[in-house]
Amino acid sequence: MYLDLWNLVGGLIHWLMVDVIGEILNWLHLYGLADWLGSSGVLHILTIIVVGLIILVVGMLVSITLIWQDRKMLGRFMDRVGTQVGPFGLFQNFADALKVLVKEYIIPDAADRLIYPLAPILIIGLSMAMFVTIPYSQGFYMSNSDLSVILTLAILAVVPFAVLMGGWASNNKYTLIGGMRAAAQTCAYEVPLLLSVASVVVLTGSMNFMDIVAFQYENTWLVIPLIIGFIVFLVSIIAEVERVPFDLPEAEAELVEGWQTEYGGMRFGLIMMSQYARSFVGASLIVLLFFGGWHGPFADYIPAGIWFVVKVFLVFILFVWAWAAFPRIRTDQILDLCWKRLLPLAAINLFIAVFFKTMGWF
Amino acid sequence: MTDKQISRKEKQLGLTGFIFKPMYITMKQFIKAVVNRPQTILYPWEKMATPDAFRGRPGLIFDKCIGCGICMRICPTRCIDLVEVDDLKKAEGEEPKKVKRPRVNLGRCLMCGYCAEYCPTDAMIVTPDYELATFSREEAIYDPYMLQHDWKPGYEVHIKEVLPSEVNKVFEPRLRIEHKDIPVLDDEKCISCTRCAKDCPVDAVTMVEVGVNERGRPIRKPVFDAEKCISCDTCVEVCPKDALTMKEAL
Repeated sequence: MYLDLWNLVGGLIHWLMVDVIGEILNWLHLYGLADWLGSSGVLHILTIIVVGLIILVVGMLVSITLIWQDRKMLGRFMDRVGTQVGPFGLFQNFADALKVLVKEYIIPDAADRLIYPLAPILIIGLSMAMFVTIPYSQGFYMSNSDLSVILTLAILAVVPFAVLMGGWASNNKYTLIGGMRAAAQTCAYEVPLLLSVASVVVLTGSMNFMDIVAFQYENTWLVIPLIIGFIVFLVSIIAEVERVPFDLPEAEAELVEGWQTEYGGMRFGLIMMSQYARSFVGASLIVLLFFGGWHGPFADYIPAGIWFVVKVFLVFILFVWAWAAFPRIRTDQILDLCWKRLLPLAAINLFIAVFFKTMGWF
Repeated sequence: MTDKQISRKEKQLGLTGFIFKPMYITMKQFIKAVVNRPQTILYPWEKMATPDAFRGRPGLIFDKCIGCGICMRICPTRCIDLVEVDDLKKAEGEEPKKVKRPRVNLGRCLMCGYCAEYCPTDAMIVTPDYELATFSREEAIYDPYMLQHDWKPGYEVHIKEVLPSEVNKVFEPRLRIEHKDIPVLDDEKCISCTRCAKDCPVDAVTMVEVGVNERGRPIRKPVFDAEKCISCDTCVEVCPKDALTMKEAL
């Protein structure tokens, strides 16, 4: 049971453009305009815009709920209450967003006038762009490309560059060190991350999320044969989204707020938001690659998209748990961990995947 | 010389100490906080459950009070004084009587509960009220009417006494009534003015004729009823010639 987003929106656009607005324009004797609005190209573009908006809003809502889950669970981990506004504190993030929205927008005197406003746009845009490749169910997706796995990981890998830009443009020692750390961290986790994804691709023989999920539906969840790869991917993706214990670019104890020290107001709010958007993408990557995507029991009653989001929330518990449990590690330790521990594990995992594939067990 | 060389590997926490133990501890804490509730109390909306023996501000049961002033004298911060107010009980068509009742400056009160402990009629009680913030210092002075509070068993405080020989035996702890201070008269100084008899809140003082003076008028001296006396010091304070002293019981 799933919602076919493209057909639904396409049908609605067609009805609106042809049967409502087209009829009105025909009644006004504007036949040319009516024909142009009803042509397939215009309908297609409008459908793309509306579907993109829906995907963006759904992704933002899920990200906001992830912020709520993070704050509430961290509160419980620390014997606190957590968010307060609204039922179960659900509206706290909206209240906070309203607060940062009305704050003054300050550009530091020493900042680079061109790149300082540009870097948040790049970070937020890149983080939101990853919603495009994440499918929620068989019908609820923005794009269904054969290379969506590669595209997602590529966009994920570009974000530290924007972070470095923002850190440099702020012209502050804390932001610069934070940006440099983000760039340095990239070379630590990127290789094990990609190698663990490569094992999934080897087993499933596809770089399309649809095919990977379909493969897991036919055989088994890939976390069972590739448990090592799952652990490597989990650690690497936590480093990728810059959460504790890998939040070196935003080390609150050493660098004030890391590379985002000089950003205030709604820019800070949106940067915060984009971090959780990337967390959402990371958690959904884990769900799609290792936990069977949107398939689950009671598929007749519970829609596939709901299953997907529930699984994302469950995987995000691991992120929050890691935040609560571990201290932040040093730069040399993250290199030590990623190169000496995770890289051999990822290689072993890749061999296991190749072995399974050659034996023909999957 | 024989110091054991600690290798770098032994100094490291390892997988167990660095990963599994903190995860176990945090998850235990999480489950504890979810199953029970977090430690935080959201104060204006939630309040801590006060224990039974909680001592908040002093309260007054107006009708029980006899205006003896023990609370005023025992108060360590001198935040209690006696004021004359209208009695709450009055007959139809009559002016209410003036009675003495304690007034407490809660800005200075330290909630020790001595006033309730020493009150002979249990009119002073300790209440569980602790939200006493005011906008000015004058508002913190509670007059006898504001000081009133509903009574519940357990609000009054008693000095209970158990002898060492009675410990672990079936004896009710008893109030300290056997040995109490009693005023003693110095006959030389007494001028028979009867102020002590008039001011005694429990009518424990009776004026008794003990003889006649050289003009043939009766000489009256106060006699103190030890059963009724509550050792309140009122007679000692009002005596114009300082003829009375408290004789300590022990």
